[in-house]
Amino acid sequence: MTVRVLPSRHPARAVVAGAFFQIFVALAGLAAPLAGQIISVKTVPIAQGDQFDFFPSRNQGMASVSIAIADTLLDPFSNPAKASRIKGSHFFGSPTFFSVSSNAGGGRTLPITALARSGALFGGAGLAFQEIDAAQRADFQQFAPSPDFPTVGNEKHHNRYGFAMLGRAFSSAGVSVAASLFGAGLEAVDGVDLLYGGSQAVGQRGQQMDVRIGALKEWSDARSLEAVVVHNRYRSVHDVTYADWFWDPATRTTVPRPRVEHNLDRTNTSGVHLAYVQPIAGSAWRVGGLLTANRLTHPKIPNYEIMNIPRDPGHSEALNVGVGVSKMQAGSTFGLDMIYEPIRTATWAEAAGPIQGASGAMIPSGGKTIENRFRFSNALVRIGVGQEVKSADGKSDAGFQIGLAMRAINYRLRQDDNVAGSVRHLNEQWTEWTPTWGTSFRLPHLELRYRGRLTTGTGRPGVSRSDRFIAGDRAASAPSIVAAPSGPLTLDEVRVTTHQLSISFPIR
Amino acid sequence: MSRITRPGQPRMVLGVRHVARRRSTATRLGRCMAIAVFAAACGDTPIEPDIPPPPPTLDAVLRQQIGQWGVVPILPVPSQSPALVQLGQSLMFDKLLSGNRDVSCATCHDPARQGADGLSLAIGTGGTGEGAARVTGTGRPFVSRNATSLLNVGLGPTYLFWDARLSQHGVFGPPPLGVPVAPLPPPGGFTHPQNVADALVSQAFVPVLSREEMRGRAGDVDRFGNPNELALIPDDKPEEVWRAVMRRVLAVPEYVTRFQAAFPSVPVQSFSFEHAARAIAAFETTAYTKAASPFDRYLARDDNALTPAAKRGATLFFGEARCASCHFGALLGGQRFANAGVPQLGPGSGKGAPLDRGVGDVIGQPHYQFAFRVPTLRNVELTAPYMHNGAYATLDAAVDHYRDVPKALREYDVSQLSPALRASYHGDEKTISAVLANLDFALRRPLPLTDADVSDLVAFLRSLTDPSARDLSGLVPASVPSGLPVGRQP
Repeated sequence: MTVRVLPSRHPARAVVAGAFFQIFVALAGLAAPLAGQIISVKTVPIAQGDQFDFFPSRNQGMASVSIAIADTLLDPFSNPAKASRIKGSHFFGSPTFFSVSSNAGGGRTLPITALARSGALFGGAGLAFQEIDAAQRADFQQFAPSPDFPTVGNEKHHNRYGFAMLGRAFSSAGVSVAASLFGAGLEAVDGVDLLYGGSQAVGQRGQQMDVRIGALKEWSDARSLEAVVVHNRYRSVHDVTYADWFWDPATRTTVPRPRVEHNLDRTNTSGVHLAYVQPIAGSAWRVGGLLTANRLTHPKIPNYEIMNIPRDPGHSEALNVGVGVSKMQAGSTFGLDMIYEPIRTATWAEAAGPIQGASGAMIPSGGKTIENRFRFSNALVRIGVGQEVKSADGKSDAGFQIGLAMRAINYRLRQDDNVAGSVRHLNEQWTEWTPTWGTSFRLPHLELRYRGRLTTGTGRPGVSRSDRFIAGDRAASAPSIVAAPSGPLTLDEVRVTTHQLSISFPIR
Repeated sequence: MSRITRPGQPRMVLGVRHVARRRSTATRLGRCMAIAVFAAACGDTPIEPDIPPPPPTLDAVLRQQIGQWGVVPILPVPSQSPALVQLGQSLMFDKLLSGNRDVSCATCHDPARQGADGLSLAIGTGGTGEGAARVTGTGRPFVSRNATSLLNVGLGPTYLFWDARLSQHGVFGPPPLGVPVAPLPPPGGFTHPQNVADALVSQAFVPVLSREEMRGRAGDVDRFGNPNELALIPDDKPEEVWRAVMRRVLAVPEYVTRFQAAFPSVPVQSFSFEHAARAIAAFETTAYTKAASPFDRYLARDDNALTPAAKRGATLFFGEARCASCHFGALLGGQRFANAGVPQLGPGSGKGAPLDRGVGDVIGQPHYQFAFRVPTLRNVELTAPYMHNGAYATLDAAVDHYRDVPKALREYDVSQLSPALRASYHGDEKTISAVLANLDFALRRPLPLTDADVSDLVAFLRSLTDPSARDLSGLVPASVPSGLPVGRQP
């Protein structure tokens, strides 16, 4: 989840650069948890909950290594054509719990999915129900309950997800093609409420739709090539209630009055994904590579700044180039993924009305008053090992997995203020570490898995109780919490912990 | 640069928070891994050391400062009964309320001068002329202080009158709303009206008691040659003065009608000066509330409302120049009193005359000698001259005073006063030393303000002007029920 809000000098020029990434990152776990069909972008080390990371996975205990090693549970959700690898029909359930430390968020999800195959046709459908906990904010000041100020406390929000896919295998050619449709009705995205510092309440409502067409070519020598075309549309509205203070001449006191901002969050993503895997002859090693390209357009970015900005469009072009190796031998599994992730992002503020630029020329209404150009050079390394031990009769096995993922983010920002005629540069880099672990028990007709993960190196704003003494300051200039380029952005370190228990068994 | 703090790490609040460096060993290790793995790919984008974050924008700094000083937008004033406002307007402009029938409230609180008179020291009964051309009557002194503009008096400043003798909240603390105002012990034996909960209403009781301002001296005759009966009432019987004023007013049938319209539930025989005062306060509140300045628009989230110079001035005002240590709150003043080291001039007031020891004389505490109410600065551009005695003729001069108050006091340029007042300047060392002895602590050190800074401060102060306050001529009624001349009419 990412927020980078640049300070505003006036309404027409206030800049929001990066707030949209929050959703990308959050949804990345759902839409492209492993292979990165949808590339996540972060501009600050803000913690993302694992809200969308609830589909079953075989490899997530191994840090989700995936380039050179198949994840037969999760792959169908990334590339529907990979569901052709499912033998028979299976039911999946993967209750998932995640929590963010410091009471900064959490939730629980119950997904149930069935995949079936009949001859050359295969398909599946699934539903997921989710409950998201509101974060406890240290800077929150609750006024006396009134219709003006919605009560914020331990309320929970509910999201619903639906998934369906259909495909066909052309066995003679070793080719499978499939399409999938994913939809979500969202009442809350974890952590969004924390991004509106000083707010009294954040009401969210949104939808997401993800359409994919995937193809998989498998050769008899275990080589495989896959391709996915994806289009993702996200729409959300954030109704943010702030308490503004006014001098009331009638009472001669300062009184709060509600101010509600309606922030739209819209992003369209289109992408292609290619991946190739082949074994290394004469060994248990496999090597693979991937290439993912995304084009993201942001017709509307949420306004996390104090100023109400009517429009803040932008666009991004993102690439993932990765290689991976794996080895599976005698129940032992090793996997290593390395991905380089260059991203270019441009956002800008548009003038609400004509305004004189630094050059003396007038910037027309809708012209760019501030332009931000991000250049990312990110890296992702995942490494994991696992060991499975078969029972004496060979019908059951048990195993464990451990892994470690490292995500290094580095970017440069160039900000051009076309009104002031100034240019600013900013470099930012940080690293997130995610150790993972898991166990599995496979019985002849039942498979049980547990996996856990802990992400550190990230934070969330306004959740530390030690902040209490600056609550007034924070409220007075609330959105400056996320106005990073006008001063250091303070995030309170949190840990995101996820536990998932997945169960799968054949339907017939 | 963004930072992550861990529990227990100290933080500071200084405009922006300084937090601990976040780049941990793990981060460095991660970067090293990334570099090692992708050395070729990353070759054209070397990871550089942190660079300082861009400086905060002027607006970011200013908005944070504003929040720290409790400067917030102002809600509309409560609507008043039109009949009440009309009655108050009539009373405000009617010279009938003065002993000699020659001045009205509006003589010194002239809409043409934004509710003031444009003079350093006011000129009350017996004076002739208008505005800057007004002169004292033969043998009559100046009023000891500058006539305060009525602009925004209805917004609820804590203190009224330069010596803060009236307070919305008592002397040192706010009472529950609705509790009668606890006035400071007034000079001259003035007994405050009882059961009046609004300081602005209470304020209207005062000028009609003042012999220099409205009542006149014993033996005066009014403009028609009739004896001034108000002036014959002893000073220790203010209630008799108020009753006498009301006898005059209610002798005019049109006023009876207007009082009945304004207070329909009150019998005629029960009308008192309090009703008149309430009407005057209602008019002042309705007519003189002007809080739609560029700065108000800025407070309402319009970053375009202020010029860059005004923003720079505002950051000085709320920051380095320390102006907001006195001029704070929604009204940018009116909430405390302070000794600003203002040159002493005029006839003086109270026991300290010919000096004016202000609040110190009122509450009898030496610590407050020469302290005066800190005025609200809203619309200050329109209310020259400045200070409690109009010692400074221009806004620039008033701001310049604060660069080095002791120096400004010792080098005061008396030429900016009207010739009639220059001789009343008390520039002797003893007086200056007495004034400086209790100078407000915030003003004891010179402020490192450049000429450009002063210019920016003035630009900010000009941004406090509500454009609709520039022309208030529409407030002057064509006539008043008594038939006495209004405004500039002789």
